[in-house]
Amino acid sequence: MLPMVALVMVDVAVVGAGQTRYGNHDLGLKGMWAEAARSAFASVDGDFDAKMVDEAYIGSLAFGGAQLGNTAALLTEHSDMEGLPVRRVENACASSGFAFRDAWMAIKSGQADVVVAGGIEKMNDLTPERRRYWLGVSGDTEWERLAGLTFPGTYALMARRYFHEFDATHDDLVHVSVKNHLHGSLNPLAHIQKEVAFEKAASGFMVADPLTLYDCCPTSDGASCVVLAADHVAKRMTDTPVWVRGSGAASDHLALHDRPSITQLKATQTAGRKAYEMANLTPRDIDLAEVHDCFTIAEVLATEDLGFAQRGEGGRFAREGQGIINQGSVAVNASGGLKSKGHPLGATGTGQVVEVFKQLRGQVESQRQVKGAEVGLTHNVGGSGATCAVHVFGRDRT
Amino acid sequence: MTAEVWMGYLVDHCPDFTVVQSPFVLGDERVFGADSDATTLSIAAVLHRLQHENVASVAVPEGIDADALSTACNIQVWDKESESEPDWDLLLSEEAILVLARPGAEVEISVMDVAVEVDQAFHEAIVAAWEMELNVLHVSQGAYVSQAQYVEAASPRLSLSGQMGRNGAVWPPRYSANTSQKENGVHRLTPSGRVLSWTTLSAAGAPSEFSLRAPLLGGVSTVLLELVDGPNGVFLVVDDEEPELSMDAPMELVVRRIYAQEGFIRYGLKARAIPA
Repeated sequence: MLPMVALVMVDVAVVGAGQTRYGNHDLGLKGMWAEAARSAFASVDGDFDAKMVDEAYIGSLAFGGAQLGNTAALLTEHSDMEGLPVRRVENACASSGFAFRDAWMAIKSGQADVVVAGGIEKMNDLTPERRRYWLGVSGDTEWERLAGLTFPGTYALMARRYFHEFDATHDDLVHVSVKNHLHGSLNPLAHIQKEVAFEKAASGFMVADPLTLYDCCPTSDGASCVVLAADHVAKRMTDTPVWVRGSGAASDHLALHDRPSITQLKATQTAGRKAYEMANLTPRDIDLAEVHDCFTIAEVLATEDLGFAQRGEGGRFAREGQGIINQGSVAVNASGGLKSKGHPLGATGTGQVVEVFKQLRGQVESQRQVKGAEVGLTHNVGGSGATCAVHVFGRDRT
Repeated sequence: MTAEVWMGYLVDHCPDFTVVQSPFVLGDERVFGADSDATTLSIAAVLHRLQHENVASVAVPEGIDADALSTACNIQVWDKESESEPDWDLLLSEEAILVLARPGAEVEISVMDVAVEVDQAFHEAIVAAWEMELNVLHVSQGAYVSQAQYVEAASPRLSLSGQMGRNGAVWPPRYSANTSQKENGVHRLTPSGRVLSWTTLSAAGAPSEFSLRAPLLGGVSTVLLELVDGPNGVFLVVDDEEPELSMDAPMELVVRRIYAQEGFIRYGLKARAIPA
């Protein structure tokens, strides 16, 4: 007879989180990572030392190819984590959303107690020509790229179709842009810290018709880092852990033309549903959501796919200001989102976790603080929706 | 004579020959459009001929991409080493005029009544851009599609060959079990569809493969089409026409140059409005 084994599922908490400012950095990869890791480690207010880390997962597209191979080994050398099992996680813009999920799974499986998840991208040290190359490597190269598409073009196709299918216009996207610039103007870590007037955002330079410059996120440098811990060690590290209540992830056809609908992201819907189910929560329980607004239309779709708005109602949700901090039903992109906080590709997913971690602990600037925030969500998308990771966090463990 | 417009070109169909001409003129001379060349004209000529009769083998002169022609039209290119004679010859001209003729046929090139005058400065700039792009030393920073990778997908790219899966036509082809070619066979899709969405990327936002020509063309336009056989696809719009794009508008697919890299031109299907 086999011995009885008591299986106790461990709970996972975020105990520390930090990031660089996003934008144009003088620092390179090593310097940015070291800064983000220092910030994250310093935010752990109890017993913690980098030597306690068991594993590390670092998300990056390795934009520019500067350190395409063995990125994680190089970076962890510069953050006092030499000798650990480390690896780079690549899922385009969702790289560190998946790095975070991998870190969570490592603890959940019982193989590790303390794990670091992070992300990094250096994008502004390239010539414009080389940058445009790297900006388009995550679509279906053979078919989309040779049809003239980079991501502004791909999302422009989605936006035009959305306007055709639903009661929405470009003005609804402008509302997303104005809101996220407003939030970003209050965030000292944001790439673009200034508000934009509706009229100006509505008449920006046309990048990919119907998307203007104000519909597109900036090209940012940056790094972010998060420390996760198993419940039995988390209590030594902090009195105010932020619990990972749910994790969901999914993938979809890489190419837009292979999907039955281009006005919804199936990967987001699946990942969101799994995360909500695990957390035993619904979209109505979410106080703030950091969603992947690489383009304004992406935020409109995300509010629908994550259940904050009914299908076809995402435009109205934006028009009515439902996502504005302390005004609407859920604060969407209180950090400024990718649109204003910035989008250093590999850093974005764990950067979203940094924001939710601080919001749930009441540690952001007072004007940006979501009042009474108990539950937050992060939504990190790769490409035009080929990959997606959604996480739900709570101040309470269950 | 009154020209028949076929795939964006002017066609004169006679019993023993087919003449294909570019609609564009510079002074007295026919010139190629912004993404056309002798290969794209030859593909149009053969596809037009195939509407009327079988084309068994074609002798292809230098200056025409024989592989692209063969793949796009699903025909045999005549082998110079063979003992048999070709059924058809392709004859090039100094201008953007091409003839597909039976060997020994007496060809008469009619004066077509369509002549679209092109701007000389624009034409010269496009020609110069293609020359730069075609230089073997020109390696754009584009997401790299190697020649081998291009050739592997040449048939679906040039002739819309797909598969017939359990739930209908599949394109581009898959390697998954339920759509294997071995099981289901190659299925050529009808090269037309309706617009589901479209965009024009500014020159600054276009992929770097197009960086030499996009500023001259005012960006690049792409359509998402629902093909008449079912699958969807994204396609560039032809460079030398400016169709008014709208939802559900019918479009046809024609072979044009896409871009060049490492001295090799990548051809593919592009969309053009179906004339009313």
